[in-house]
Amino acid sequence: MKLAPPRLRLWIVVLLLLAAQLAVRPWFAASPLAPDFLLVALLTFAMRSRPGAGAAAGFVVGLLGDAVAPTAFGAGAFALTIIGYAAGWLKAVVFADNLLVTVVFVFAASWLRDVLELAASGALRAGAVGTQLLVLSPATAIGTAAAAAVVLLLFRSWLHSAPAS
Amino acid sequence: MTIGAERYGSRADTVAFVACLVVALVTLALPEALRAPIAAAMRRSVLLPAVTLESRVAASRAQRQAVLVLRAERDSFALAASQVPELVTEIAELRALLRLRARLGSGFVTAEVLHQSGLTDGLTLLLSAGRRAGVTPLAPVVSPTGLVGMVTTVDPRSSVVMAWSHPDFRASAMTARGRVFGIVSARRGERAGEVMEFRGVPYRERLPAGTLIVTSGLGGVFPRGIPLGTIEGMLSEAEGWERTYLVRPAAHPAQVTHVLVLKPGAFSDTLAAAFRAPAAADTATAPADSS
Repeated sequence: MKLAPPRLRLWIVVLLLLAAQLAVRPWFAASPLAPDFLLVALLTFAMRSRPGAGAAAGFVVGLLGDAVAPTAFGAGAFALTIIGYAAGWLKAVVFADNLLVTVVFVFAASWLRDVLELAASGALRAGAVGTQLLVLSPATAIGTAAAAAVVLLLFRSWLHSAPAS
Repeated sequence: MTIGAERYGSRADTVAFVACLVVALVTLALPEALRAPIAAAMRRSVLLPAVTLESRVAASRAQRQAVLVLRAERDSFALAASQVPELVTEIAELRALLRLRARLGSGFVTAEVLHQSGLTDGLTLLLSAGRRAGVTPLAPVVSPTGLVGMVTTVDPRSSVVMAWSHPDFRASAMTARGRVFGIVSARRGERAGEVMEFRGVPYRERLPAGTLIVTSGLGGVFPRGIPLGTIEGMLSEAEGWERTYLVRPAAHPAQVTHVLVLKPGAFSDTLAAAFRAPAAADTATAPADSS
């Protein structure tokens, strides 16, 4: 059986992750370990795309996220633009599709996203930053990194030959 | 050529990155009057399927939990099942909400809180009810235990609530007997999001710990008598002028799952009686709460 074109395969995985964000994530309720499938989708795309495409994707995803939690409209777009660009840029220098590298990378990206979003939204002035950045954000980053590892294990051979745009 | 060397060498990538970054910063700097309509337009258009799907998943989850509750009550193992703290808490919350609905009678809309993954969830909340259900801007949002916040933006099928934990939230407040008045706002800095501040209390007044603080009804946004919290202790005092107290909130925005949105003008009288009874009733019907 002939496989779908690499770019189509990448989009299928991204769409599956978007569906998981809407249909699966709510079942985790308020658990701090609830994975952010949207971030995994963004990083999956950005790691296999040019940095510019990663930045644009991050901007769009961030802006959409800001629309449903509009405390600081634009903060998510700001944070994910940087994350998307960095994912496309850094992945050019490190190993592609390496499980350990991906897990560490997603963990760092998730935590950095929180730092950037907090800083951009001015939420730092609301306090409780220590608990957020040292406890809650790492917990979310662990859940997100675990989800990314599962995605990579399931789709590694599929995504392996997906080219840069 | 090294792996992906062409990726970070492109000027187009840098231009795209800088352009996105600039637009994001411009968006962030927009005044609230411009940002809210943009966000609302996105929720009504491109995000409508997502919000609808998420709302249905939340409803499905609630239905599943309701079925679990019914089975547990019917089953001879109901007692063992009720030991699960999370389940007990949710049952108690839903029962309290039903009792509050009965006491209020009419003039409100029920809604589910669609908690988001963002860090700022708890400062603003997305509700599953919107204009079509009768929600209007500035409508007070309450849980069975007290005030959660007020509606800031209304879409046809959803609405956004500014919770009391938001840095911009203010409510005119008083002690339950109406003897001392002040302004309640979210505590900033240490314990932000956990407690409130009761400011502007005259220096001659001393409030003991445990004193109930409710909305005063002044300002025309919140009806009189909605519990805000109880005094935990004095925070600071301006010698001879005023005192500020820490208030333990009656309702935690990040934990509520179901709320009532009061219709503005529907409650001209005090709501103290509607909120007074549930604590005793909850204790009587859910003994595990006290353990």
